[in-house]
Amino acid sequence: MSTATPEVAPCRRCASALEAEDLRCPICGLMTPPRAHGTVERETAKVVRCENCGASVEYSVEAKAPRCDYCGSVTRVETTVDPVEQAQAYLPFTVDPEAARAALMGFLGKGGFFRPSGLAREASVESMRPLWWPAWSFRAGVDVSWTADSDAGARRSDWAPHAGRTRFDFDDIIVPASRGLKVKECEALAPHYRRDTEEREPRGPEGANIERFEATRSGARRTVLETVERLSRERLQQGVIPGRRFRNVHVAVALSSLYTTRLALPVYVLAYRYRDKAYRVLVHGQEAGAVFGEAPISKWRVAAVVAGVLLLVLVALLATGVLGS
Amino acid sequence: MQEQSEETTSTITGPLLHLGCSNCGARLVVEPSMRTMRCPYCAAPSVLERPPVPGVPEPTFALGFTVTHVAAREHVAYWLKTRSRFTRTGIRTARPGEVRGVYVPAYLYSVLAHSRFRASIGENYQEQETYTTTENGKTVTRTRTVTRTEWRPLNGELSGYVADVLVTASTGLRNEELEALEPFDLRGLARYTPALISGWVAEEPSLTHEQCLELARKEAVERVGGKLAQFMPGDSHTDLEHQSRLEWEALDVCLLPVWVLAVRYAEDAPPLRVLVNGQTGEVVGKAPLSPWKVTAAVLALLLLVAVGYLLASGGGR
Repeated sequence: MSTATPEVAPCRRCASALEAEDLRCPICGLMTPPRAHGTVERETAKVVRCENCGASVEYSVEAKAPRCDYCGSVTRVETTVDPVEQAQAYLPFTVDPEAARAALMGFLGKGGFFRPSGLAREASVESMRPLWWPAWSFRAGVDVSWTADSDAGARRSDWAPHAGRTRFDFDDIIVPASRGLKVKECEALAPHYRRDTEEREPRGPEGANIERFEATRSGARRTVLETVERLSRERLQQGVIPGRRFRNVHVAVALSSLYTTRLALPVYVLAYRYRDKAYRVLVHGQEAGAVFGEAPISKWRVAAVVAGVLLLVLVALLATGVLGS
Repeated sequence: MQEQSEETTSTITGPLLHLGCSNCGARLVVEPSMRTMRCPYCAAPSVLERPPVPGVPEPTFALGFTVTHVAAREHVAYWLKTRSRFTRTGIRTARPGEVRGVYVPAYLYSVLAHSRFRASIGENYQEQETYTTTENGKTVTRTRTVTRTEWRPLNGELSGYVADVLVTASTGLRNEELEALEPFDLRGLARYTPALISGWVAEEPSLTHEQCLELARKEAVERVGGKLAQFMPGDSHTDLEHQSRLEWEALDVCLLPVWVLAVRYAEDAPPLRVLVNGQTGEVVGKAPLSPWKVTAAVLALLLLVAVGYLLASGGGR
């Protein structure tokens, strides 16, 4: 992977990656090591001086920071920051615009029985925008404690209680951060990316847009944690909790070595028009075969099939003599 | 594993400090429990720097004041006005006196807690039941659906981090008072630097590290208990017991912003102590009830009941 290795040492307690500005570990709350400062030999009463004019500085409630009353300059203090960050790694476009257009035509052409017959011919491509959509990718080890009710071991009630503790490892899980694409679309696109192609700079067709991250650092961490809980809950129900039916699945997670990367993932967004109606299709930026989107359904063909089925049922009923009697 | 030193000696006690004002050179006399002072001659605010004292760690974090002096007074004035009618005369009309902003030392504790729990889990089920009843003078048999609970034992574990536990490190602020002032928004946490408390009153920790650790552990275990109650499956649960093993404890001193003021409401009574969270404006205080007002109200109520009873029994005769 070509992403930058973290410059800050990971948390000593939970081994999660830290940002340079973190005062405490966002996962377990452990204080990050402070910058070294000289030890004091004997008691002194020190006046904090303004770096600008040399007057004494006091903490000001209005400025929410130490402020000099004479020159008004505000001293910056090391505090918790919550910036909106940008992508660390870009995946390059390996499908060129021509191939994307061809992929759309292929998608329209092979539509299946219910597609209108002239779709590929009559549809007009209105726009094709290559863009990078934002996502977080994380890996983490998770110590999951759980309790649940399931049907296994049930006696008089339909449910029996179970509890346990297990460890899951999550590797390169992609969490969508896009506002423009739907979560479903992101989930369909995500598995087709080749993570070994990560680069520091965007590389793709001219005019490609980069959708910016809009969540803050703390918002990103919250989303990642929610995803960890959701995935844990899903994995637990696939063979960890005994039984087939579940309810009241509670999970508590203790994360260790959480490491998050901010990614920009390539996709083509195409819009085409067919009989005065606009449709949207996504063509994967790294795999032309992966096309997701909407296509019109021929009302005539659907009506014909429904009528046909009804007719068949009617004939069958007549033949068996149910209606005739 | 212990993050901090294990020294048991605590609190800075000892003689008053005699230091020179670094602005005008005047002699300053400083209380050993104070971290800041203001020169009485030139009004220069100074922050004390001390050689490390065993058992009294340096502050790691500070939360800056965000509620202004004026706003704190307004919060208290509103709080006084909305006290109950049974408080002592003068409280609801008292004017808040001098307001002082104090940085109170507290310990910020976090830990990895491994807990084992045992509980009885109630799983409901429904059953048809036949019963007999009398209808129009005849005994008839009917059936009805009843919900019963089957109790099953459950053992399990819960592992997780408990962060953001705050306990007081000052004899001036009781832990119950701190709990009432909470929550503080720890997202506003800043790394301690003398500039943050310059010009304000700031105390040194006056409770021992050990005392605070005990308080913090107790609070952490209580939090685990609360979490466990939410964690139980089934329709209901009972007899929930748990034992926690605490690992990787970390304890850091954090200075919290608190507005302190005394409300004088009567000549003969000691002033009422009111605290205001310097970050959220939450007001904490215990307005004393007036024994006379309460007695009068109880008597009035008794009288009303007695009159009502007499009238009712009189009407029945």
